[in-house]
Formats: sequence, C-alpha cells, structure tokens
Amino acid sequence: MTTESVAHRAPPNPPSTARWRPSERLVFGLLGFVVVLSVWEAVSVLGLVKKVVLSSPTLILNAAIKDISNGVIWPHLQASGTEYVLGFLAALVVGVPVGLAIGLFRRLNYLLDPWLSAIYATPTVALAPLIIIILGIGLEAKVFIVFLEAIFVIVVSTMAGVHAADAHFHDIAESFRASRWMRFRSVVLPASVPYILTGARLGTGRALVGVVIAEFLASNGGIGFYILLNGSILQTARVYFGIVLLGILGVALGEFVRVIERRFDRWRPAIR
Amino acid sequence: MTTGGMALRARGVQFTYIDPTTHDRLVAIEHIDLEIPEGQFVSIVGPSGCGKSTFLKIVNGLLPDYQGEIEVLQRRSEGSAHAMVFQDAALFPWFSILANVAYGLRCRGIPSKVANERAMPFIRMVGLEGFEAKYPYQLSGGMQQRANLARALTVDPEILLMDEPFAALDAQTRELMQAELLRIWAEARKTVLFITHQIDEAIYLSDRVLVMSARPGRLLADIPIDLPRPRELRIKRTPGFTALADQIWELITPQIRPDVPAAD
Repeated sequence: MTTESVAHRAPPNPPSTARWRPSERLVFGLLGFVVVLSVWEAVSVLGLVKKVVLSSPTLILNAAIKDISNGVIWPHLQASGTEYVLGFLAALVVGVPVGLAIGLFRRLNYLLDPWLSAIYATPTVALAPLIIIILGIGLEAKVFIVFLEAIFVIVVSTMAGVHAADAHFHDIAESFRASRWMRFRSVVLPASVPYILTGARLGTGRALVGVVIAEFLASNGGIGFYILLNGSILQTARVYFGIVLLGILGVALGEFVRVIERRFDRWRPAIR
Repeated sequence: MTTGGMALRARGVQFTYIDPTTHDRLVAIEHIDLEIPEGQFVSIVGPSGCGKSTFLKIVNGLLPDYQGEIEVLQRRSEGSAHAMVFQDAALFPWFSILANVAYGLRCRGIPSKVANERAMPFIRMVGLEGFEAKYPYQLSGGMQQRANLARALTVDPEILLMDEPFAALDAQTRELMQAELLRIWAEARKTVLFITHQIDEAIYLSDRVLVMSARPGRLLADIPIDLPRPRELRIKRTPGFTALADQIWELITPQIRPDVPAAD
C-alpha cells in the first residue's frame, strides 16, 4: 500500500525513463556483439591474421549452414546432449540426497568428508583412464565423467543449504512439537532449496566441462569430438561452430534450471 | 487434576545459562512462583534482559533444563497444553498463510486437507479471510502477526503464550492489534500469558500485570487490573489507567540499569 501511494505522488517523468531501461540494455548488448563481430570480420578480411588461425564470423556461419543442412552435426549434437542431460540428472538425483544426508548427520559428514575432499581435489581428467578401463568407451563412461564433474558442486552447495535455516524457525517447529521428519520438510528443505538450485546451476557448467573431457578422451561422436576432429584437419570455422554449440547447450540447461528456480521462488518478493 | 483449576502453576522456577565455552554461569530467572487461573489474561513486564522471555520459553518447553516445577493444565487429550505466538518474522516465508496457520495441526500428523479445513475458522477469526493463499511477504506486519496468532489458536491450547508479539509493529498498528487481540481473546476464551516491555500495553490487555526485576529476574509485584471490560482504546487516557501505569513505572524504574546488555 505504501508503494502505491508513492507511485501516485511520483513526478510524471521517471516512469517513461524506467520504461526505456530494458531496451537500453538490449541496445548496448547488441552493440557490443555487433562491434566484436565486425572487428573480427574486418581483421580477417584485411588479412591481418591468417584465416586458418582466426577464421571469421561469415566463414563460421557458412560452415554452420553447411553442416546443419547436410545433417553432419545432428548425431554429434544428439550424442553430446544425451551425455550432458543424463550425466547432469544423475548428479542431481544422487547429489541432492547425499548433500542433505551429509548436512543432516554429523557422523556421516565426518565419515565422508575426507573422501569428498580427496576426490574433489583430484582432476576428473586424471580419473578418466580408470573410468574407461572400468566402464569401457561407451555412453556409460562418458555419462559417468559428466556425473563426476557435476556432482561435487551440487553436494557441497546442498550441504551448506541444510544449515541455512534461521535457528528461529527451528524454535517454532519445536514449539509445535514437530517431528524430525516434519521439521525437515517444513524448515530444513525449504530453506535449502535456493542452495540446491545454485548448486544445480553451477553443476550445469561443470557437466559441460565433463562432456568435453569425455569426448576428447575417447569417442567417435559428440560436439567435443567434432571440435577435436576439425581442429586436427585445420577446419577452424567448424571448431568455432562446435564451441558455439557447446555454449548453446550450456545456456539451454542453465535456463531449464532457472525455470525450476522460478517455480520454487514464488514465496519470495521478486528481485528488481 | 494437579493444577487445581489453574491453567498454569509454576513453583520455584529458576534457570541458569551456562556459557558453553567459558562455563560462566548466568542466573536468568530466580525463584518464580506463579498461578494463573483459567481464562485469565496475565502480562509480565520488566526491563530488557530480565528473563521474561526465558520464563516463557521454559513454559513452552524450549528450555528443558530448568529447576523448579511447572504444571500446565491439560484437560483433553486432543488439543495442546500451550502454544506460542512469537515475535516478528515468525511465519514460515515459504508457506502460504493457510499452510502457516495449519502448521500446528500438521505437526500433530493431521492430513493437510483436514488441517486446512480446521484452520479456516481461525483465519476468519483474526480477519484474514481472502488472504489465505498469500505468502507472508505479501502481508503487512500487523497481518502477519494476525496469522501468527491464528496459528497458535488453531491447536486449541489451554494457555496461549505471547512473546512481545507486537514489538515490531508501528505505534498505530500496535494499538489496533491490541484491541483486536482483546476481541479475539473474548471470542476464543483462552488463558493468556503475555510478555511485553510496554507498560500501557500490559495494563490495557490484562487482568493482572506481573512486574519482574532486573536480572536475575524475580517477580516484584502482582498488580490486579480491575478496569471494566470490554475495554476500548480510549481507556488508556482515563485517570485510573494512568495511575496504574505510574505505579508500575515506579516499580520498574529502579530496575533499569543502562549498563546491563539486553539478553532477550
């Protein structure tokens, strides 16, 4: 009600400038994009840097159109997408309960913490040969590498979320004689949701790294393989196209998490 | 019936905080004897840090390591002995108003559909009909405290414990809520133990005002408030009211020591 009365009293000018702000953001965003692409194109056309090193926006676009229209890219996109989504979902399905359990049970934390720290500190790339020995070079190994890359941020973030609830809310639950399960459902879990979702969003980025690692190491398909193959035959434009596709994959999964986040955020005042 | 018609009986209640690192002992309240008959509205006033909130927490079962005896009347197996109305920001922000009000029932294992149905009359009683689907952030502070009160009433407690429930409200909303509380109290017929540091609030609401000393908290005085009911807000400006306020002020003033940090 106070905001309402403030709006009534506001001078006539500010609303119109406020309405311009989003498009200003768009204009500058696009401007930056156009400037970078133009400079890149110019540098390439003027021959300042060899085309095989730098490529150019138009060359990349041509390569993209060619590989999309002749269908070359689809199996690669499908392979990477499958590894990405399966590995990420597995990390989420395992990581959230594990993070909650470690956060809730002190002794489990003591038991697992050294292992978590050790595995977390070890680069996944170093583990890849082992994973391939155990799981072979099929989809399972790649999904597992993606899973391994993504799970730790999810576990660690979820663990932090368990202790995020204000002690005050535990007092209220206790005063109503809430059972442990009720307290978990009504206090611990809701308070940890923002942490879980932050972990998930960070996890999508890590999972994408996992996809590239897995495909660089052993594969005959996928965007990572496409990049590696075209790099080795100096098809620079296609390498860039692959990188762009990875970016699109990452943004798509990140947006998916954001949609879920918005569903869980109904109880909070909108930011901005 | 051990309580003999009393909603609450406390005998020799004492509580000592022990600092977990330094093991320093701090006596928060000392030898509290108190009897509250059923249906009475009793307030405790005292300087900041006198342990009045500590006493309420003990009655509410949040501090099990007290000394002395506390008996709370429990007539029915259904219903709670006591329920607490907390200070500000006490609603779960992630639950709707309805889910918050039904929370106490849910904690007793009542399925959500039934709990929600049983919460609705209390939402109506506190004047929040139409807001049950909203989230706490969408309500004003006064409305949030109405929901907080409804949540405590929903579990049908023998005694309602209120811990400075209006402390965070602005002066006008606070006055309105005091009047509202009296209306709801008359309708719900509950015993109330109300903690406040506002003397006029205590007098306006109560049948009895207990004055607590500075730490370690003891009961200094038990002052009956025989102002007629129902009370309107303008009773606060009558001579009888101000005389009571002066009397309580005089008891409290020597207790206020500016060097004592507030603990509750």
